[in-house]
Amino acid sequence: MTNSKTTALKLSIKTGDPRPIFKQVVDGIGMAIAVGELAEGDKLPSVRALAMRLSINPNTVAKAYNELTSMGLVDSRQGLGLFVSVPKQLLSNNERKKRLQQAIERCLGDVMHLNYSDEEILKAFREELEGLRKVPKVG
Amino acid sequence: MMTDYVLETRHLSKLFGRKRALDDFTLQVQKGGVHALIGSNGAGKSTLFRILLGFLTPNAGSAALLGEDSSALTPATRGRVGYVNEEHTLPGWIRAADLKKMQQEFYPQWQEDVYRNVIANFDVDHDQMVSSLSRGERAGFNLAMTLAQNPELLILDEPTLGLDVVAKQEFLDALLFCSNLDTTVIYCSHQMEEVERLADQLIIIENGRLKNQSTPEDFLNRVSLWIVDAIHKQRVRDKIPSLLSCREIEGEFHFYVLDAENSFSRQLGLLGINDPVSAPVGLDVAVRAYLSKNHLGADMTSRGEAA
Repeated sequence: MTNSKTTALKLSIKTGDPRPIFKQVVDGIGMAIAVGELAEGDKLPSVRALAMRLSINPNTVAKAYNELTSMGLVDSRQGLGLFVSVPKQLLSNNERKKRLQQAIERCLGDVMHLNYSDEEILKAFREELEGLRKVPKVG
Repeated sequence: MMTDYVLETRHLSKLFGRKRALDDFTLQVQKGGVHALIGSNGAGKSTLFRILLGFLTPNAGSAALLGEDSSALTPATRGRVGYVNEEHTLPGWIRAADLKKMQQEFYPQWQEDVYRNVIANFDVDHDQMVSSLSRGERAGFNLAMTLAQNPELLILDEPTLGLDVVAKQEFLDALLFCSNLDTTVIYCSHQMEEVERLADQLIIIENGRLKNQSTPEDFLNRVSLWIVDAIHKQRVRDKIPSLLSCREIEGEFHFYVLDAENSFSRQLGLLGINDPVSAPVGLDVAVRAYLSKNHLGADMTSRGEAA
């Protein structure tokens, strides 16, 4: 089965970023799954195809795919490739809460000195969130 | 005996007059993956390649390629190594088609499909004399012939130097997608963006010595940037032994540290340096910070000699 959606995966790589490239691939695909851009059962691009698109070493893509597999986000099917797996609750509620808290602190740390009102910050946040939730589900 | 490594050197030293191009240089490179080799100009990379390929005799130590001593490489072993240098040195007095034919006959393991796939990325007219190919075309032609040899070890020494943006991208695409995944690649480059995109392993040479051999991620984790008030700059310079490089920017003192422990900010506090801020860095910045220390050291030595 070929899946045209895999080619629509929005993913880009930045060199000079503190995150290593394999981590950028993991985060990018994790994000695509989180916002529904990649849905359960979707096939990921092959290692070579993704490496070619991003102009990176195929070994780096393979390493990122291994990481995504061990995180439980994708499953490999023998000879067919990698597929987005059934969503599982991987983190405890406490852990989720902690991570959310930390992410908000990081974000606000960057934002507080920009002199926006609370309403403006919340509005921008809400718009961004709605944008992410609205990614159309194809197929 | 040494077959686990595609290349290996032990206590290699090479002197050019009084200059020590390689200094007790021991390196082992495991089979597989892309190993980026970086260092400043004159760090010893070219000398290393010349010794490994048997073109130069070391003053001390030994070197081996594919398990065979570099000083006595057999033609069969040489045939398993592909070497591409920045000049893309090829005989110019021959038509591209004829040079290709000669190579094809010379290498029994020649893969015509690989040649065609690579050369398809470049606009090479095979009726042209090699000397009249553009730099980008020559690079592509050279890469196509080298990859078609199906080398077990591929040494690329600054292969994209002097290529324009388009030719550079074509070269990298061809390299990434036409090379056999089992080929071990030694990639020598000053282009950190290429290194970051390609490297599985990062090997750093400085002043003829091996300074780092790890994954890029592990290297990245070793270097951190710290920012403190500029009033502390002398104290940082005097007291921080693992200081790599530093600069003052508008009242802030920025410095890079190697292998800072978790307790580093507390250590700074004990030195009376308060409120340090640390920031993560990218690979290009980390390498620059790392190499600048060695530059500084070299400059100070030469200044000392001049005085």
